Formats: sequence, structure tokens, C-alpha cells
Amino acid sequence: MKQSIRYNYTSVRLEIDGLPDLSIGQLGESIGIISSWRLEIVGLTQLEGKRDHLETLMQVVIPYARHLVSNVRQTFGTSTSSVQIYPLTDGHKLYLRSSKPDIQPMTLKLDDAQLTDLVRCLDSLRMDTRVIVHWAIPEDVPLQRHQLEDKSPILESITPPALGSLLFLTFALLLILLPAPRINPPLIEPLPDKSKI
Amino acid sequence: MEQTITSKKSQRIGRRGLERLDMLLLLIESLDLNASEAMIWIAHQGGLDELFPNRVELWKRRCHNPLRKSTRRGLLPSSETDALIKLVCLMADRLYPLIRQLLSSTEPSKITAERWLLLRKRLIELVEERMNPRKGAVQKLVNSNSNEKYLENLVLTLALSSGAGGNSRLRASLLDNLP
Repeated sequence: MKQSIRYNYTSVRLEIDGLPDLSIGQLGESIGIISSWRLEIVGLTQLEGKRDHLETLMQVVIPYARHLVSNVRQTFGTSTSSVQIYPLTDGHKLYLRSSKPDIQPMTLKLDDAQLTDLVRCLDSLRMDTRVIVHWAIPEDVPLQRHQLEDKSPILESITPPALGSLLFLTFALLLILLPAPRINPPLIEPLPDKSKI
Repeated sequence: MEQTITSKKSQRIGRRGLERLDMLLLLIESLDLNASEAMIWIAHQGGLDELFPNRVELWKRRCHNPLRKSTRRGLLPSSETDALIKLVCLMADRLYPLIRQLLSSTEPSKITAERWLLLRKRLIELVEERMNPRKGAVQKLVNSNSNEKYLENLVLTLALSSGAGGNSRLRASLLDNLP
């Protein structure tokens, strides 16, 4: 009855155990209730926990990856939440706090390859049709201008038209200052007055 | 709810998005010398052969990138951009071991540096061959001082575009509200 599914990507291995939710008619090899999970990041650590912990990890790592694709490097998770991820100059730092009081928080430094392996593992789990669980993970949506890190294009796009306008005004002012050409009256001799003749 | 989903799906990718999409395909070509053949084969395997039956049809779509020498005006319909995104993701899946080697810090640093150098060289060659050199963005790409970080981000984007969730992640990023 107990099911176990494993996702394996080079440096990351995720294994979940669970049962089909018979109350809503799930059968066969599906998992509707996750009883436990184990995540092994080769050379770093092995994590395990309940479904809530896995969901919290996904809620932080998946949006972080989404923002990275848009070249936005920002921290996800707060200083009090059980999972936090933030960028480093040469990788990413995953900060994990246990719900048990006697266990010290754990910090993992991941390189880009380990992070992509982890993201692929978590993606495979949330997209797996055998795991019929509703994950409360934010949808992938386009970022707005204020969320995007790179502000330089605005300055770059403003500079050329601003310079152009300035040059145009300068030349216009110079042309205004030039004296207008003097127009001499036409040299036409007056016609003789016929009445006097 | 259904309406929201439909409107999101029918959103068209803008100029900057098309630039990035074509750059990702160019990066794939830099990673794999046989990528142009592989793309057609992958398109066939992924059920995209109606849109991309041959290289010419694929090239026509890619020419909507405004940075290209022979550029085509207008935006691509969302069905065609979706197909290009799917193609990028399928190729990213195929090339993932290679991309991973570039991103991994456990690989010998000398070999990694050589791989990056080779990749940068190939990408610049392709950019010079196909893009309009009079455009500022192309000059910036060719300039070795400014393209290093850009290339690293592009490779990471390609890595995160692979796998089960890569397609929706890449699509959302191409729809970003860029200036």
C-alpha cells in the first residue's frame, strides 16, 4: 500500500513516501498523502521531514529560480521562516531552521549546478501526475518593471533622444541669433506721370 | 478564472522577449555544433514539425529578432512563440549535462575556464555572422568586457529552462515588462 517515488538528478536525490488518499478515491500507484521525504544533496547533506517542510522549501526555491531566469537575484523567505535562500557572488545560500528547538540551523552553499539540480527535482515532484497533492506554490508570472533589477536600460533609452533634443535646441537658438538678411527695395524707375505731359 | 488563463496564454512576447529567445537558440548552437540539425529532429519528436518542418521555417521565425541582419517586422503569434519556447526547453533538456558542466564548481577550474572561453568565442562568431553590427546591443554582445556576465546569465537561464517546470518559467520571464 505504501508508495515510494524517487527523483534523481546528478547531485540531488529526492525520495517521497506516502499513500493514496482512499477517501477521495485515489488508487494504485498514486500518492495523495505524503508521510515523509528525504532530500540528499551529494557532498553536502541529507534532509528529511514532513510534507509541510517540503512545501516550504518549494515555496522558496521555485520563485527564487523563476526570478533568476529574469536575472533578478533576491532573497526569498524571511529571517524567521524555516527556509531562506539568498544569492552570493559565486552561488546561492540555503538557510534551514528546524522546528525542533535543540537542532541548530543549517546553512548550505549551493553552486549553480546544484541549484538547477534541486529545482529540476522539485519541478519533477510538483508536475508528477502520480503525486496528487495540491502544492501552494506561486504561479510563474511575468515580472513588472519595478521588480526587475536592471535599471540601466531606462537611462540608456532616455540618453539618445535627450541629447538629440538638446542639439536641436542649440542649433535652433544659434540660427535665431543670426541677423536676418537685409532685403533691398527693387530698383524700378518710376513711370513718368502722363497727366503732366 | 478560465478567461484569465486564456488571456495569459494568448499574451504575445514583445521585442525584447524575441531577442532573448533567439539568443537562447544561438547559445544552443554555440554549445552544440550540430544543433541546427538537432533542433529539427527535436521539433519532429516534440510534435512541432508542422511549424518547423525544416530549417528555413525555423529561420523565418527567428528572423523576428530585431537585432538580426535580415529582420522581419512584427511580433510572432503566441502559438509560434510557444513552439519556439518548447523547442528551447527540449534542447536545454538534451544539453543539460553539458550546461551542468559549465555551471558546476566541482569541475576542474582550468577546464571550466577553457570551456567558457570556447563557448564565448563560438557565440561571438555566431553573433557577428547573423546580427546587425550597427545595433548598440550587438556591439555590446561582441565586446568581450561586457558579455561575460550576460553569457553566464544566459547559460543559467537555459539550465533553469530545462526539466518539468522550465517551460512555464521561461515563458513567464519572456513576458516580463521590460522597457
